[in-house]
Amino acid sequence: MRRGWYCVLLWWVLACQAIAGGVDELRAAPAMPTAKRIVALSWEAAENLLELGITPLAVADADDYRRWVAQPLLPAGALSAGSRLEPNLELLASLKPDLILSSPVLDALRPRLQAIAPVLSIDAFRPNEDHAQAAEAIFRQLGRVLGRQPQADARLHQLALGFAQLRQQLQAHGARRLPRVQVIRFANASNVYVYGSNAMPVLALRRLGLNTTGTAAASVWGINQQRVVDLVAWRDDVVLYQEPFAEAGRLFVSPLWQGMPFVRQQRLAAVAPAWSYGGVGSLYYLAQRMTAALLRLPLLADQPVAANRASRRSST
Amino acid sequence: MEHVIAKPGLYGRLPGALYWALAGLMVLAGLHLWLNGGMPPAGPWWQQQDIASLQFYYASLPRMVMALLAGAALGLSGSVLQQLSGNRLVSPMTLGISSGAWLGVVLAAVVLPDNPSLSSGWPALLGAMLALGLVLLLAGPRGLNGLPLVLAGMAVNLLLGGMATMLVLLHDQYASNLFVWGAGDLVQIDWQWAQWLWPRLLPVVLLLWLAPRPLAMLSLGVAAARGRGLALGTILLLLLAALWLSAVTVTAVGLIGFIGLLAPNLARLLGARRPLAQLACSAFLGAACLLGSDCLALAIGRWTGSSLPSGAVTALLGGPLLLWLVRRSMNAAQHTAMLQIPGSQRQWRKRNYLLLLGTLLGLCWLSIALAPGPDGWQWQWPDALLWSLRWPRSLVALSAGAGLALAGVLLQRLLRNPLASPDLLGLSAGSTLCMLLVAACLGRSLLQDGILFALLGALLVLVALLGLGRRHQYAPGMMALSGIALAAMLDAMLQTVLAKGTPDSLAVLAWLSGSSYRVTPAQALSLGLAMLLLAVLALACQRVLTLLGLGDGLAQGRGLHLAAARLGLLLLVALLTAAVTAVLGPVAFLGLLAPHMASMLGARQAARQLLVAALLGAALLLLADWLGRVLIYPRQLPLGMLASVLCGCYFLLLLGWQRLRRGGGQ
Repeated sequence: MRRGWYCVLLWWVLACQAIAGGVDELRAAPAMPTAKRIVALSWEAAENLLELGITPLAVADADDYRRWVAQPLLPAGALSAGSRLEPNLELLASLKPDLILSSPVLDALRPRLQAIAPVLSIDAFRPNEDHAQAAEAIFRQLGRVLGRQPQADARLHQLALGFAQLRQQLQAHGARRLPRVQVIRFANASNVYVYGSNAMPVLALRRLGLNTTGTAAASVWGINQQRVVDLVAWRDDVVLYQEPFAEAGRLFVSPLWQGMPFVRQQRLAAVAPAWSYGGVGSLYYLAQRMTAALLRLPLLADQPVAANRASRRSST
Repeated sequence: MEHVIAKPGLYGRLPGALYWALAGLMVLAGLHLWLNGGMPPAGPWWQQQDIASLQFYYASLPRMVMALLAGAALGLSGSVLQQLSGNRLVSPMTLGISSGAWLGVVLAAVVLPDNPSLSSGWPALLGAMLALGLVLLLAGPRGLNGLPLVLAGMAVNLLLGGMATMLVLLHDQYASNLFVWGAGDLVQIDWQWAQWLWPRLLPVVLLLWLAPRPLAMLSLGVAAARGRGLALGTILLLLLAALWLSAVTVTAVGLIGFIGLLAPNLARLLGARRPLAQLACSAFLGAACLLGSDCLALAIGRWTGSSLPSGAVTALLGGPLLLWLVRRSMNAAQHTAMLQIPGSQRQWRKRNYLLLLGTLLGLCWLSIALAPGPDGWQWQWPDALLWSLRWPRSLVALSAGAGLALAGVLLQRLLRNPLASPDLLGLSAGSTLCMLLVAACLGRSLLQDGILFALLGALLVLVALLGLGRRHQYAPGMMALSGIALAAMLDAMLQTVLAKGTPDSLAVLAWLSGSSYRVTPAQALSLGLAMLLLAVLALACQRVLTLLGLGDGLAQGRGLHLAAARLGLLLLVALLTAAVTAVLGPVAFLGLLAPHMASMLGARQAARQLLVAALLGAALLLLADWLGRVLIYPRQLPLGMLASVLCGCYFLLLLGWQRLRRGGGQ
């Protein structure tokens, strides 16, 4: 009896360790520059392909991708491959792809996906890893595997330039004086998701050279659920919230919200939507939108023009 | 405490206890405020502008008021419902009213995604009325004061809950902001909800004034009350008031179960007997209970550093309390309560077997050969790759359908209740709960080696049930109610997990909706073999089943060891359900419907019903699997949920039609 339990335990421990994926798998993968018909079963993978200039044959939840990720644009010709949790295997089989880009959610399906086409599982969201660095490594490796290394390097360079530009823009407005910046998304009028230091928006802020939160969230996606009331603890922080927020009309007029330190001192700004669980492209779009939001803050926008000129002169 | 009830006087001994009760409530309120952030600086409130006072006056205080209001409303609603039906197991939760309201709100959110004014309360009220109507239709006028009403409520709960889940899955991104609400959250940010709720609770005062007389008459029995001139309209009005109370509460704070069940029962335990005393006491105790469990939610939240919805705490506390209550309060009549579902007089013919087998084979061929592809519908024998993708799903659907149908027949004959189904034992709920707990505690993805934990959970529930049941000779009612308690706890857990709002939430939901998608060939084969084996075992039990059908006395007279027979059959049912749940996730309603359809076709003899029901179950699930694959191609609907909703709708239509026809004939 007892031996039976040990066997079960052993099997369980082994099963835990058998999870591969992420960058390591991509590094070990051989180059397949001839792969043209590629299916993306996660939005992260679809985004990476599009950034490399490849239009995927099919994308899981393609319609929702167009609505929620939006950028980079998915051409209308790309099919929907079913849902991200349960992609349609029969459809995949009849599409006869050259390569399937999968995600760890689908690890259990791997043998069956492999019967259809070679599978690469990519995932930047692994515990105790810098998701932004992982996303960059994944993008580079994916470029190598698909024979598009020059494009990958060029795009990364372009994104780095973009980041530098954003950073400069912020510096020009005196962002160095900014206190800690926090990013949240509202669940409803009384609950918020707070992004921790392991979340993409916060990593984007850090890349912009801004002072931001240093505590990681428990979930691997980097979000913690909190009550709106608890935000009171942020005495001096700047707060960015991601749109859309349907109940803004109700929350923002309440006396409690009006009494929040960051509301009283006008250190709150809305950020236009961008995908928070994506790859290198999404990281940049997040940074772009958050920079725009920050520049609307009175704290930066009221910066006297003379100071701007002075900083510009010093930079040239 | 029981001996004090005979004391004359409107309230019994209550006024004496009233001071203690009030003092207790004050202490609870103080504790609640302290846990929720402490007291503000002294001074008149209109002058305070610092954040601590704002927090106190706009977050802590309204939350406390909402807990009191919602608790009182739920307690009162439960008390009215219990006194109307004369059934102590009735409450907004057990009647399916709350899941009806949840469905209403989800539907409204999906149809009008950009409209933030879900707060009107009407979607919830309409859903609640729909649920109650269905339950009354199912239980019929004679089933009001026993287990049938509760079982019907459970069935409606499953159906409407399943529909809501399906909607959420199909519109995941829109509906995800509902998750927090669904978990029963009392967090407030201003007085808006409190101001919305209290005028809508005003009918309460009227209720306290008007209700006692009709309720007192009803307590003598419906016939006696009619004789004394009680109009049906009055009863309906009271019912509507109770519904309104729970619907507005659900709209304001989300799903909070058990309060409406516990408060009236506690009131009776504490000695309230007259209608007015029961109403007042229930309202008071409901407020106190909700405040107390919200205190616990706050304390846990403080301790663990993350917020926990109050509804989840209520359900986690309420499940065991319900069990305790049932063991105290259920009498023998309720244990053996029966429910009549109108059957048909049709005779079974031999050629029906041929017909059934033919249909099954036709369905098999359909599910293998006909499917949509990227270039439209294809009607051909699949190639090797497609075949390897299709046959495990079809085999699993076939064997799971047969297994659940067998479990249903066994259970219905065992409990002598046509509304019993494998879900009611709580086995699938138990295994799911176990998986969720393991995933939450170890922080692992739910989909890894889940099957192991599913089986473990089912076995744990089985052991617990057997332990509990031995004292009651495995009485059917006890078993069913423990299933209900477990299901409610599972629901609370599920809502808590969903409320976390991480991308994992949807994975949990997808698994819970019972999908044949992830089934491997090995799993399919082993499930098929297991079902074959268990089916042979079930057929071997046919004599026991026939004897049990004669009644306990006669069966014992013929030399049947009742307890042993029940234990053995329960074990068989548990094994059938656990095997199916472990592979497929929970599938509701099929186990309810298949036996019923079999007996409608004329297969009323034990062995024949087993066989016919198994064939029907297999065919139904196969059809559901095929529909799930093709209906919204290339996305797929989970087999379990589709089967539940389709079977549930069919069942209700059938029942309603038959009842109406009989009613018209009279």
